[in-house]
Amino acid sequence: MDDTRQRLTNCFQVVFPDLPQEALATASTATVAAWDSIAAITLMNVIEEEFGFQMDLDDLADLDSFEKVYSYLQKRLQVA
Amino acid sequence: MTITEALRITQSVPRDARPFPVTLACGFTPLHLQTFLAAHLQLALPDRKVTIAPGVYGDLAGTLEAIGETAQVDAVVVAMEWPDLDPRLDYRNAGSWGLSAANDIVASARVMLDRIATALSRIPAGPRTALSLPTLALPPLFHTPGWQASQAELLLRSDVLRFAAEVAQQGRIAVINSQTLDTDSHAAARHDLKSDLYNGLPYSIEHADHVAAQLAMTVAPPPPKKGIISDLDDTLWSGIAGEVGPEAVTWDLSSHAQLHGIYQKLLSSLAESGTLIGVASKNDPAVVTKAFERKDLLLRPDQVFPIEVHWNAKSGSVARILEAWNISADSVIFVDDSPMELAEVAAAHPGIECVLFPRNDYAAALKMFQQLRDRCGKERVSKDDALRLESIRRGAAFREQVSTVATPESFLKDIGAVITFDFAVPGEPRVVELVNKTNQFNLNGQRYTQPDWQKLVTQPGAVLAAVSYEDKFGPLGTIAAAAGHIEGRKLTLDVWVMSCRAFARRIEHQTLKMLLGTTRAAEIEFRFAPTAKNSPLREFVTTLTGEEPKGEFRLTRSQFEAKCPALYHEVREMRRAEAHG
Repeated sequence: MDDTRQRLTNCFQVVFPDLPQEALATASTATVAAWDSIAAITLMNVIEEEFGFQMDLDDLADLDSFEKVYSYLQKRLQVA
Repeated sequence: MTITEALRITQSVPRDARPFPVTLACGFTPLHLQTFLAAHLQLALPDRKVTIAPGVYGDLAGTLEAIGETAQVDAVVVAMEWPDLDPRLDYRNAGSWGLSAANDIVASARVMLDRIATALSRIPAGPRTALSLPTLALPPLFHTPGWQASQAELLLRSDVLRFAAEVAQQGRIAVINSQTLDTDSHAAARHDLKSDLYNGLPYSIEHADHVAAQLAMTVAPPPPKKGIISDLDDTLWSGIAGEVGPEAVTWDLSSHAQLHGIYQKLLSSLAESGTLIGVASKNDPAVVTKAFERKDLLLRPDQVFPIEVHWNAKSGSVARILEAWNISADSVIFVDDSPMELAEVAAAHPGIECVLFPRNDYAAALKMFQQLRDRCGKERVSKDDALRLESIRRGAAFREQVSTVATPESFLKDIGAVITFDFAVPGEPRVVELVNKTNQFNLNGQRYTQPDWQKLVTQPGAVLAAVSYEDKFGPLGTIAAAAGHIEGRKLTLDVWVMSCRAFARRIEHQTLKMLLGTTRAAEIEFRFAPTAKNSPLREFVTTLTGEEPKGEFRLTRSQFEAKCPALYHEVREMRRAEAHG
């Protein structure tokens, strides 16, 4: 597991502590009941704290799965 | 604190910890405020599982009114913001701004403040209630430029302050101090407009953390320090008394020594509120005696006891003062201008809080004054607080006399001891305070929040006794308490504490005798648990049962009567009729 994926996994574990490790990679708003609008904002803030950059609230609606958030992070980290 | 840290704190609590349910009443989306509040409360209450239930969005008054009917919570936290008083003060609202709106907002805010005050007054006794007043800037809807306050703004602010003063006066609602919040949370960094418009949370993350921290401190404040031990030269006053003479040490403005005068005033004020003040100084005793005779001292000599003055190590002085006060080092602050003396005392007394007196650093001095107030400040001052130092002084005289008479019996017979039992004091804050701060003669060390205490003393068959004492040496005030319940002929005691100031007077024997007599119990079950500090209680129990208790134990009436020594107190009872009705 690459560093970004590992750090993102940690973020998900903090926000969704009841989610089993094996379910993280396939997690999405459709599969995780606790992933509501409030959890989405919390997740965004936890990711900001972990990766040290600001995310745009406008992007939030599109970031509805672990994989999408991971792809988003890869792009942001490449730009940086 | 970061959000990640806050979440980890709340997730680290054992699942079987006793719940501490909290209602968070706010008109906005609580989001991070809720997360931080849970985390800060969790840190303050490590043996509880804090759960936060937010109220209804946009309806602060309605949320509070609903609590008034249910109140199955241990705390209510109210985070008020301007939109709670009128929706037009909300950036998310489409209502118009302008001259007529401003005047109407003032009028409608008054109506809403009255409604909120009524709702707060109807919250049943029990939950601890903390209130934060609006922390964000008013929107720019008033006709004046930003640097000038409009009349409408001033009226709004004054109405809010009047409301806060009125609800605080009722004594059940604690209002957070905006002055402290202003120090911690920069005004310009409080409002996050994007978060406000997108998510309904107007607070920046940092501001949410600061507001939550202060609300949590107000809900679950740390126990105040019991005493301050102070150095003299270049601390209580400016100058070395032994060198310049006692008449030449200063603490006034004209001598540029006002820092020491402020310090004296603060100590005097804390002493009036029951904080013990002692002195540990390397000095000539005769010189210090002369200095304390000066009429212009702002700390009265009768507010200071003991005064330890000699040339030996200060750690020894501190040890003797702690012994005279009969409290542990972690309840005390030691103030000195010498880092070396602070280090010496800190090494000898782990847990003591050592504070450097910054005699030439005015900014640091300002912080220190606030620090001392924060550490020693208390929510309310009881008549027992005013008695504390005097009773310790009398206790010293008591022990001195005990040591000089032939037998304790002849001494105890002649001191004119009067014990008063009050059996109907469930709401008396002094009793819970006594239970929560007594360590040595304490049945199990259990601490109680106000709601927990209410549950204990209102359970079926509840028994609660508060014990006051006085003798020819003077009154000690309320010095003991016992609480539990009677079922058939068995009395169960969950709580039994006695102040260390009251040792050696057989008050503990008289308390058991009175409890057995009043409840007609044949035996008492003690919910005892050993703690690091309750050896005095263990030793007392051993004299009655013949063995040191390891856990819960029982004492029968005949066991007690066989071992109870002669008791010479005059016993008075108050309000027995209400106690077991």
